[in-house]
Amino acid sequence: MDKSIFIVVPAYNEAAAIRSTIEELTDCGCSIVVVDDGSVDNTWSILKDEPLYAVRHPINLGQGAALQTGMTFALELGAKVIVHFDADGQHTAMDINSIVEPILSGHADVVLGSRFLRKADRAIVPPSRRLLLKLAVLFNGCLTGIWLTDAHNGFRALSRSAAQKIMIRENHFAHASDILTQIRRHRLRYVERPTRITYSTYSLGKGQRAWNAFNIVIDLFLGRIFK
Amino acid sequence: MTPIQIILVVLLVIGAALYFSKLRSLLLDRLLVVALIGLAIAMIVKPGLTTRVANWVGVGRGVDLIFYLTLVGLSFVLLILYSEVRTLQSRLTELTRAVAIANSRNTHDSGHRVEEERTMEGNV
Repeated sequence: MDKSIFIVVPAYNEAAAIRSTIEELTDCGCSIVVVDDGSVDNTWSILKDEPLYAVRHPINLGQGAALQTGMTFALELGAKVIVHFDADGQHTAMDINSIVEPILSGHADVVLGSRFLRKADRAIVPPSRRLLLKLAVLFNGCLTGIWLTDAHNGFRALSRSAAQKIMIRENHFAHASDILTQIRRHRLRYVERPTRITYSTYSLGKGQRAWNAFNIVIDLFLGRIFK
Repeated sequence: MTPIQIILVVLLVIGAALYFSKLRSLLLDRLLVVALIGLAIAMIVKPGLTTRVANWVGVGRGVDLIFYLTLVGLSFVLLILYSEVRTLQSRLTELTRAVAIANSRNTHDSGHRVEEERTMEGNV
């Protein structure tokens, strides 16, 4: 694939998984940008051995901030398409083609991955998480006016012009809703594409806990009040 | 004057002096501080004043009225400080981002373990 497609991988203390995630991605022929979000393990030194762009936050800021740093960096290098991809190995590089396709063909500005478009993908999501995600879908729909089938899926693709318009201001996990708000505000065309998820004990342990939903709601609320 | 009156007035005067020597701010800000300090001193010297005002607005004791007003005032201070913290956070994010991008590493053509710091190929 094209070097002007940039895969942005935010990584915070991902030493255990980052190498296999990157090795899976290098096969796709895209450019890879890993943003080490101030990890305290040896994530940063592992990145030395892989062919990629590595950017490191001197201090930990949060996943939303890491994504924005990766996007700013990729735009400076002339990225035509930017893909968000989680570091913990829960996404599949095979889905990259289908997620960038609507952008390359000019049908959409933003493509959002969904675990709920194919029966087989949905079956992998544990029931308790399914319920939580559907509540998040409802919440996002009411808040942003964008109704999707999935929420907080870290797999997305943005066209260059969409990435230039969207500026993630929520440094932590509320960035997923922040992106939707900005899709709406800039009237960007969006579609969903099915993505396969692989939950390992590692990715479930690293991923967000259910009670973090409360933090996200509060962050969004505060974000609206204080500019 | 009772000892507590003297103590409070002295503390207020010191607070005002500190404010004007350490913090610089707008004229309006200063006028507000002078007005508040003047009001505070008046209430300390003539304690009956607060009770009379409190009775006008339906509060039993002057102390209670001041307590309520203080709570409201402190809430505002908290909000102002919090919004200041958010501003600082977003500035820190911008700074961190700029530092991170300036120190980016490109390991594409360098094979294993050869490091190239600052390898942005200009702005394409």
